[in-house]
Amino acid sequence: MSIEQDKINTAETSPEEEKKIASDGDFSNFDDEAEFLKEEKAREEKIEADKLLPPDEDAILEVRHLKKYFTLKKTLLGKPLSSLKAVDDVSFKVKKGETLGIVGESGCGKTTMGRTILKLYQPTSGQIFFKGKDIADYKPKEMRALRKQMQIVFQDPYSSLPPRSTVGDLLSEPVKVHKVVPPSEVKDYVLDLMEQCGLRDYYYERYPHEFSGGQRQRICIARALSVNPELVVCDEPVSALDVSIQAQIINLLKRLQKERQLTYIFISHDLSVVKFISDKIGIMYLGSMMEFGNKKEIFDNPLHPYTKALFSAVPNPDPTEKAERIILKGDIPSPANPPKGCKFHTRCNCAMEICKHIAPEYKEYEEGHFVACHYCEKNYKK
Amino acid sequence: MDIKKIFKKGENKTKSDKHYLSGKEVREIAKANSKEMRRLEKEKNRKRPESEYVTSMRDDGNILEIEDLHSYFFTDQGVVKAVNGVSFDIPLNSTVGVVGESGCGKSVTSMSVMRLLQGPTGQIVNGAIRFKANDFKRDKNGEPIPVYEKDENGDIIYDKVLDKDGNVKTDKDGKPLLKPRQKKDSAGLGVYEKEEKVFDIAKTPIHEMYRIRGRQMAMVFQEPMTSLNPVFTIGNQLDEVTLLHIPGADKASAKARSLQMLEMVGIAMPDRVYASYPHELSGGMRQRVMIAMALAGEPRLIIADEPTTALDVTIQAQILELFNDLKTRINGSILLITHDLGVIAEMADYVVVMYAGRIIEKGTAMEIFHNPLHPYTQGLQKSKPTMKSSENELFNIPGNVPNPINMPDNCYFKERCSKCVKKCSGDYPEMIQVSPTHFVACHLYGKEN
Repeated sequence: MSIEQDKINTAETSPEEEKKIASDGDFSNFDDEAEFLKEEKAREEKIEADKLLPPDEDAILEVRHLKKYFTLKKTLLGKPLSSLKAVDDVSFKVKKGETLGIVGESGCGKTTMGRTILKLYQPTSGQIFFKGKDIADYKPKEMRALRKQMQIVFQDPYSSLPPRSTVGDLLSEPVKVHKVVPPSEVKDYVLDLMEQCGLRDYYYERYPHEFSGGQRQRICIARALSVNPELVVCDEPVSALDVSIQAQIINLLKRLQKERQLTYIFISHDLSVVKFISDKIGIMYLGSMMEFGNKKEIFDNPLHPYTKALFSAVPNPDPTEKAERIILKGDIPSPANPPKGCKFHTRCNCAMEICKHIAPEYKEYEEGHFVACHYCEKNYKK
Repeated sequence: MDIKKIFKKGENKTKSDKHYLSGKEVREIAKANSKEMRRLEKEKNRKRPESEYVTSMRDDGNILEIEDLHSYFFTDQGVVKAVNGVSFDIPLNSTVGVVGESGCGKSVTSMSVMRLLQGPTGQIVNGAIRFKANDFKRDKNGEPIPVYEKDENGDIIYDKVLDKDGNVKTDKDGKPLLKPRQKKDSAGLGVYEKEEKVFDIAKTPIHEMYRIRGRQMAMVFQEPMTSLNPVFTIGNQLDEVTLLHIPGADKASAKARSLQMLEMVGIAMPDRVYASYPHELSGGMRQRVMIAMALAGEPRLIIADEPTTALDVTIQAQILELFNDLKTRINGSILLITHDLGVIAEMADYVVVMYAGRIIEKGTAMEIFHNPLHPYTQGLQKSKPTMKSSENELFNIPGNVPNPINMPDNCYFKERCSKCVKKCSGDYPEMIQVSPTHFVACHLYGKEN
């Protein structure tokens, strides 16, 4: 064993020295455990340091180092033994009136993230600034006042509507609970809202089972908007719908955004839909944000190999253009036991030796364009 | 707005309220339906001579010809004409894509081809489905005729027959008993003579269907988890296909063949997958297993019913690549059913667009994607955002698919169409031939225009 290698093995290498490790260097004797502990320590320090920073005033929602772990196994005393890292250290900002699109494969934690932001799940750690206030530690009682300002539209319109209440009942209930308008005006208010969402007024007395999928999704949207929220999390709102109905719902969402200055977090696995509706896009893989930036930058100049592969996998509805496909091998690994180093290295076609051992840093390459990748770090030119 | 007026019962009964039926009406419909269903079931189970269901193809280059197919469901609300006069062909070695929204009858078409409609409610009422099978040639007793190995002179090679102890069996005269040596394929399965035979699936009796289904044509379903049996291993379920359909197959040769199939669909460790249960595999792997199962019978036609809808984009890309690769390897065709125009564009040679149980446009992929004629096809293409488009608002087709019971006599798309002409209120438009391969059912392209 050479002396240089010996140096790498010791966990005492300074950060400057570590940067010198060539990306394709020899890692045969690399101590993964020590590296992991070191990374963990560095991350903890960074989180502590970031905690003290004031929230961004422009942003309606700012998420810092958000984590949501689900406990899989417990000791007898209830201490977690192993956990599933559904959302692992995610940070981003959204401005008022913008749409943030979150894309990723199934099991990458995008839905969990959406629900954690609304505090439907209690985050394990991290900060969620909504309009400048950290709501991560709010109690359910304190959250109740905020529910008026943040709402969610669920994926499946068939299971998210109560089958035994009429459209009128289920739309007026949030209005009554949150006292949006005086009780005498509730009916008028709801009918007005229904008209805005493209529902006929005689639907007021009907039950959810009498409607088609598209109409039900309109009811779900109307329900979310009934309390005049500022932030709406749309969790795959069009995935269960047909193409022609999809277009109707997307146009409705866009129109409502313009009229009411809404901020959307649009979660979807359909890249073309996300591209259409979003201003900013975040790409998630196994609970981590891989790339984040403005729509234009992400689509014109994707930096992360995963983003590139994802884009090339979308079928192109033009038979003459057969684009060069990057086919990812294998499946998404289990989030309960993610790979060491870079989480994506097992499927990456640009993977280098360093990727297997050291997790890449989530860095800003262009203004507002964040990427976590060694390959990109090596090859990025301004 | 006068709210009271809106909620008064009985008043303001709209068009869509028409499907509310009284108990009496429902009973009447049920009575008429049960009579009709009994007649059709009886007809289906009638013993037929072979001459009734063995026919010939209209065009010898086709592998499947569907002609004026009508598949109905007899429900208590009325008759649902799920497939209402559909005709298209599948040429050999090609992929035909059927595209349409949910409820347009694309799945029912494929189920009719497989004769998997749930009776007695679901029935093929009319029409012909001609399928060119390449089955084993059978002698008078219904036994398949084996292919024997021959030496250089063209004479059949004979082997001596051995008994349990390994001694040569002899006949009365003391001469050793001889048996012709059958040809074996790479998995050790016997080879039999084959012949092409055209079946009319709509009339074929069910015992004959058992031989065709799973062997001559196979199906890949949408959701692999629900179509695999959770209590048996993958190997067990794969072997079953070989054991059922290939005469003389034993466990060892069936396993060898199953492993071959798993390798063919790109599974890296076939041995491990062979021994595992469905829940141990990921969605993409399960779909590969389903495809392997479909391939195990050496089918001429694979029907893939939304094979990638339940999968992620990256896995979808893998499966589509696999299908494209298989098409060149198997000597057969693929019928691909999907709602995703992108998938159709990547895979299909011919495209059939369906709406409310009828074909509204069909042609080659180029014609459908570069020169769509029917307003519905055009709308469908415009309403899907693509990776390249950059419009501010999506085109959308207003309204919904009409209620499948009591369809109007005029064009079913009239209510949602933006290019309606006077003629649209008249009869349902007929199929108009635009080019040798391109057909459209729309009054805009009649003889006058």
